[in-house]
Amino acid sequence: MKNLAELQALRDDMKTKIGVRKDGEHRMRIVVGMATCGIAAGARPVLAACVKEIETRKLTDVVVAQTGCIGICQFEPVIEIYDADGSKTTYVHVTPEKVPNIVASHVVNGIPVVEYTIGANAN
Amino acid sequence: MVRSHILVCGGTGCHSSGSDKLIEIFESELKNAGLGDEVKVIKTGCFGLCALGPVVVIYPEGAFYSQVKSEDVKEIVTEHLLKGRLVKRLLYTETVVADTVLSLDDTDFYRKQKRVALRNCGVIDPENINEYIAYDGYMALAKVLTEMTPEGVIKVISDSGLRGRGGGGFPTGKKWGFTAVQTDEVKYVCCNADEGDPGAFMDRSVLEGDPHCVIEAMAIAGYAIGAHFGYIYVRAEYPIAVKRLKIAIDQAREVGLLGRIFSEPVSTSTLTFVWAQAHSSAERKPLCSTPSKASAATPVPVLRSPLSRVFSASPQ
Repeated sequence: MKNLAELQALRDDMKTKIGVRKDGEHRMRIVVGMATCGIAAGARPVLAACVKEIETRKLTDVVVAQTGCIGICQFEPVIEIYDADGSKTTYVHVTPEKVPNIVASHVVNGIPVVEYTIGANAN
Repeated sequence: MVRSHILVCGGTGCHSSGSDKLIEIFESELKNAGLGDEVKVIKTGCFGLCALGPVVVIYPEGAFYSQVKSEDVKEIVTEHLLKGRLVKRLLYTETVVADTVLSLDDTDFYRKQKRVALRNCGVIDPENINEYIAYDGYMALAKVLTEMTPEGVIKVISDSGLRGRGGGGFPTGKKWGFTAVQTDEVKYVCCNADEGDPGAFMDRSVLEGDPHCVIEAMAIAGYAIGAHFGYIYVRAEYPIAVKRLKIAIDQAREVGLLGRIFSEPVSTSTLTFVWAQAHSSAERKPLCSTPSKASAATPVPVLRSPLSRVFSASPQ
């Protein structure tokens, strides 16, 4: 540790690694459906892609969580993004390839990717 | 790529009710479930609810599991960590309200508390200096070394009204001020972590759960009074505290936060640690040959004592 800048750099790097331990201080929550239906449809790689993307972008104020069956098994893998105001966006038939796009547009820039949402896929 | 942290209490209370074993089982069950790379197990200091031990907290949900047994681990791994369903029967009842999980800070036990000295206990891995740094550890020392004079530090401490926590309530700023003006070339910072009073475990909790904060505070004190050596006196009955303190001192030295700190551009603090460990109570011998006597005088911690270059403080 040669100087203050090194210490600060280490702290900032570590903050991203322990971000999941914050209680209720998250700006956004990404919830992945991980019931049997979700897992069977490929939710695990989607979950992994979400975590990786959040980590790569050092989004310390965003948390990735799991949940059970959301109730729309035919649309799995499903992820839901909860904004700070509690509003929810449901993405369906998510693949790991779609995740970076969703994170960049919705989580970082606040613009939902409409074509992946349940509204655009219901029919 | 880690998405979830399992915090298992490694304080003395949970340790004695089997938390070490739990950690082992968690690690093997996670491996079996193929979650070894995405879920991390961390041994922390005391959460403060020893009667409910062993305590396990899982993030990001903040689920607080109490009195977890070896046979419960598999269920937690397959239900909570694999499928995202909390194991309700093991949740600490106070944290379960309707269908949501309260943060520990919102339970009756903690709601009226603000943990200051113990803020990192049960939050960080005390054996990992990087976790302490993540919670702004050593930033106070860094600020002191780069922005403040020793007099400035003493003024901040005086103005804060901080007092000794050992019973006498001696103003810390005065203690530091008295020591700073001593002209001896060699001075020491002493931390009395013996905690002899029956039933008191505050020192132990700090040392076990957040040893780096004691070291950082001693380094700041050393800078303020012009001391280059630090002593920590700790009891042999606290083996976990002893072990973690040793690890912490080694880590701090290794990364360059003890000894010569901040070699660029200037180094102003050079605190080095010396170790002292008490024998178990039965065989403990006094440090001085004359037995101590009660004194009616106000305790003055620095001046005119046989160890005039020393001041001591408890870890709290």
